[in-house]
Amino acid sequence: MSEQPKGPGSPQGQPHSHEHDHPDHDHHHDHGHDHSHHDHAKAAPGNGAPVPATATGVDDAGTQALSEALSSSFKIVRFLLAGLVVLFVLSGMFTVEPNELAVKLRFGRPVGVGAEQQLLKPGWHWAFPYPIEEVVKIPVGQSHALTTTNGWYAVTPEEEARNERPAAKWSLAPGVDGYTLTGDGNIIHVRTHLKYRISDPLTYAFRFAQASNVLAHAVNNAMFHASARFSAEAALYHEKARFQEAVVGKLRDSISTLSLGISIETVDVQTSAPLEVLPKFEEVLTAQQEGDAKIRDAEGYARSALNRAGGDAAVIRNAGLNASNQLVQTVSAEAKYFSDQLPYYRSNPDLFRQRWLLEARTQVFTNAQEKHFLPVRGDGRTRELRLLLSREPQKPVAKEQP
Amino acid sequence: MKRNPITLINGLLLLLIFGLMLFLFQVRSTEVAVVTTFGRFSRSITQPDFYFRMPWPIQKVYKFDNRIQAFEKKFEQTTTSDALNLLVSVYVGWRIADPKLFLDTLNGDVTKAEQTLDPLVRNVKNGVISRYAFSDLVSTNAAALKFDKIEEEMLSMIRSQARDNYGIQIDLLAINQLGLPESITTAVFNRMKAERQRRISEFRSQGEMQASIIKATAESETNRLMTLAQAEATKILGEAEREAARFYTVFAENPELYIFLKSLKALETSTKEKTTLILDPQSAPFHLLSSPAADRPQTGLTR
Repeated sequence: MSEQPKGPGSPQGQPHSHEHDHPDHDHHHDHGHDHSHHDHAKAAPGNGAPVPATATGVDDAGTQALSEALSSSFKIVRFLLAGLVVLFVLSGMFTVEPNELAVKLRFGRPVGVGAEQQLLKPGWHWAFPYPIEEVVKIPVGQSHALTTTNGWYAVTPEEEARNERPAAKWSLAPGVDGYTLTGDGNIIHVRTHLKYRISDPLTYAFRFAQASNVLAHAVNNAMFHASARFSAEAALYHEKARFQEAVVGKLRDSISTLSLGISIETVDVQTSAPLEVLPKFEEVLTAQQEGDAKIRDAEGYARSALNRAGGDAAVIRNAGLNASNQLVQTVSAEAKYFSDQLPYYRSNPDLFRQRWLLEARTQVFTNAQEKHFLPVRGDGRTRELRLLLSREPQKPVAKEQP
Repeated sequence: MKRNPITLINGLLLLLIFGLMLFLFQVRSTEVAVVTTFGRFSRSITQPDFYFRMPWPIQKVYKFDNRIQAFEKKFEQTTTSDALNLLVSVYVGWRIADPKLFLDTLNGDVTKAEQTLDPLVRNVKNGVISRYAFSDLVSTNAAALKFDKIEEEMLSMIRSQARDNYGIQIDLLAINQLGLPESITTAVFNRMKAERQRRISEFRSQGEMQASIIKATAESETNRLMTLAQAEATKILGEAEREAARFYTVFAENPELYIFLKSLKALETSTKEKTTLILDPQSAPFHLLSSPAADRPQTGLTR
């Protein structure tokens, strides 16, 4: 700074009192003068003495110091101003992480047209600092998980980790033990494990204050909605897949109606009979399986019996057929034989009979395994014959060792 | 003193920024705002943009989140038209439709808004459910179920009240929990247990019955098949007998010889297995051993 600022002081001609000595007279007077520039030579008429060097030097040093102080103060202010501007510009820098997208709002509105332009990809970006522009970051890259508890029994994380069920209770406390009501007025437990992604980040972030809360309510609504139309046994066992479809279907409808801006990745609907009656449910299943097993056994028996009967019937038919063929063939052969032999028989019946009789006797004797002769007793009487029926077969006797 | 243009620009820039911050304000697309002048309402802002304002204390800007807020009504008891006690919880999705009315009636406080909505929702819920039977809420007959209708009725009833009185727009309302009073759950469990027991007996007896029916049917069918086969075989044999009878005329030429030949055949056939003969030495042809001259042997076949 080349220009020296004036120090603070009274304006010119302002009266004030002070004392000083003159070499040839001693006086005390009042007059106006400037403190910063006090010319004593002019104050004493006729005195041409120069101004003392020490006084001038002090004044100059003070002025110099003040000037330097002010100069450095201005430098600091200038530096701070520049710093503030730089800080203001730098505050517009921001990073979008890999698992998120960002939306730049200029005067409150998203910048760009359409989702493609409005959504900023991961990386470095710059925006005018608030209040001109504002950045909203949306965590979209990751898969989000949600598990509902409104329809599930109270279970501690430790029990859950050990895959244990809590002890059965014969009453369910509202707000503590979750469950759903089924179409047949029964109680079952239902729990939904949901995995989802944010498919429309703008809707997800700008339409709902807490989209995940709304989603959790929608899942619960879908569970109770589906339970209300299924019987307990259908939901738990016979139509488990259909029940799960009903929950997922209702949930998809709700997500679409609400425009939540999410897309479902996986849904797992878990069901359980109340712990209090679970053994009975299992017993029902066992009884059903036993009944089915009996029916299956009977069906198996029926199939094999019918197959056997079919075979036996075929055997009977074939036997009949064979017997009939045999009968016809035999009778036909006999008739031919008879016709062939009849002329010989007629020529000498007695001889014919004797020959055949002897042939037959020979055949009978040959066929017989045992033949016994009963010689006539000495007194000419007939011998007494005793038959032993069902005899024990004779055991072979071991040869004696010499 | 020489003027530095950079310093001047910096100063002006900062002055501009402070001025902007003092005289302008921004309303985001997720917000609505109300501007008051000396405490009195000036205007409502529902569109996102930059707006001018006089600095405080002349004007004050109230901004509210205009996104849908989810609010859950506690799990409370209500009564159906068939006098059944039921626990119902609903959730409501609401947003600010009239910022001025919202500020005037609820002081722009979200917590206060939800406290105010609470009795409204309760009244609507109790009013609607009291007109429906328990079977309208839970039924295996999908056609008889009025779950959606009940939700729609609740929503339409609360909508006008919330909007007219508090400037709140109710966008959604749905049941998110249904239950029974604790004492009734015990009765339900007992009933479920008895039902299961009945089902157990049913399954067992049904299985046995069906198995018996299947077996009896199979046996009956087996017998039918066998009888049919037997009848068929008999028929075939009958036909064969008729066929064979044609040859009897040949045998009829000398029945004595036929009977004699058949008797010999029968004798041979019947003595083929396990036959013991007790013979008189006088029987032919063994009589030749004792009296070779004998020409009239005795037949002594015994079986």
